[in-house]
Amino acid sequence: MRRFLRDNGLSLFFLVAFLLALGGQSIAGNADYNARQLTEGGAPISWVSYVTSSDFAVNVAENWQSEYLQFLLYIMITVWLVQRGSPESKKPGEQGRESDEEQKVGPHAEPDSPAWAKATGLRRTLFANSLGLVMGTIFVLSWLAQSVAGTANYNSEQLAQLQDPVTWLGYVGSADFWNRTLQNWQSELLAVLSMVVLSIYLRQRGSPESKPVGVPHQATGIEG
Amino acid sequence: MRWGAVAPPVAVVTIVALASLTGCASGEAPTAQRAAERFYSAVHAGQGEAACGLLTPRAAEDLPLGGESCAEAVLRARLPAADRPRPQAAPTQVWGDEAQVRLSGDTVFLHRFSRGWLVRAAGCTPRGEQPYRCEVGS
Repeated sequence: MRRFLRDNGLSLFFLVAFLLALGGQSIAGNADYNARQLTEGGAPISWVSYVTSSDFAVNVAENWQSEYLQFLLYIMITVWLVQRGSPESKKPGEQGRESDEEQKVGPHAEPDSPAWAKATGLRRTLFANSLGLVMGTIFVLSWLAQSVAGTANYNSEQLAQLQDPVTWLGYVGSADFWNRTLQNWQSELLAVLSMVVLSIYLRQRGSPESKPVGVPHQATGIEG
Repeated sequence: MRWGAVAPPVAVVTIVALASLTGCASGEAPTAQRAAERFYSAVHAGQGEAACGLLTPRAAEDLPLGGESCAEAVLRARLPAADRPRPQAAPTQVWGDEAQVRLSGDTVFLHRFSRGWLVRAAGCTPRGEQPYRCEVGS
């Protein structure tokens, strides 16, 4: 047990932190929703009703889609673009998908390589792109969930304000949908930009996301 | 950057959220419609107290003018003759705890409370992009 915790501490920390934050969001969101209901002459709802409501779903989904988009973009774009001096980047000149030998696939696979790295055809292609495919799929599903939950939430607010509801297509073209979407995208893109650029010049001793403290600013692709 | 381990249940949760949200409104439409029809039946029968009992607390509170009661005010309000679903009209819309019912001569807005659907606004006429103008509720 102790060894399991030590070997998986990073994943477990973020899993627990995620659940705590999601629980906190549901409690704060329920209180905020009920305050709005009282203002509009409606009725407060229970926590269980709130966590199955479109209000909670759209607020969760809009953040999920932007996070997965952020990681998807980073995974895919760093194949082709580099940033000199950044530990987040490959070295200049190494852009591209790299050779089978460098990627240790097919005949270049090692005895302990994953089975699908040794395979040929579709299985190898799928495995070689599996991280991007899964992250991309989750991004699309989350964005779709945001649009559906957003439609329900927007229409609930429209009716409470004595206005007509809209269709899903109408909502996807609405200012509310794009305001929610772009306000999340801009913050994620800024965070990635900051990480790429600041990690050229700044260090965090002991972190694998940083270059070792004594490595020169120009050194690229070296993680601590 | 080592970001590989991401929780797969995210996709499952997303699909569940989608499924639950797309189907959430359908079962409540007839109930909301019946509540709107009961309100109009009470008004047309001159039963002001009963009609006020079908209004949301906010609508019932805001309706009376001067010293009149809600029962007097709801019968005084210039509500159209409307007590049955409008043929070929847009179907009843239910989103979350809000509903819009289109009757033969009116559009009615309702809110769902623990004791059922209550009329938030009635006698409503559209104003384009602006909220409906309503004789009862606002």
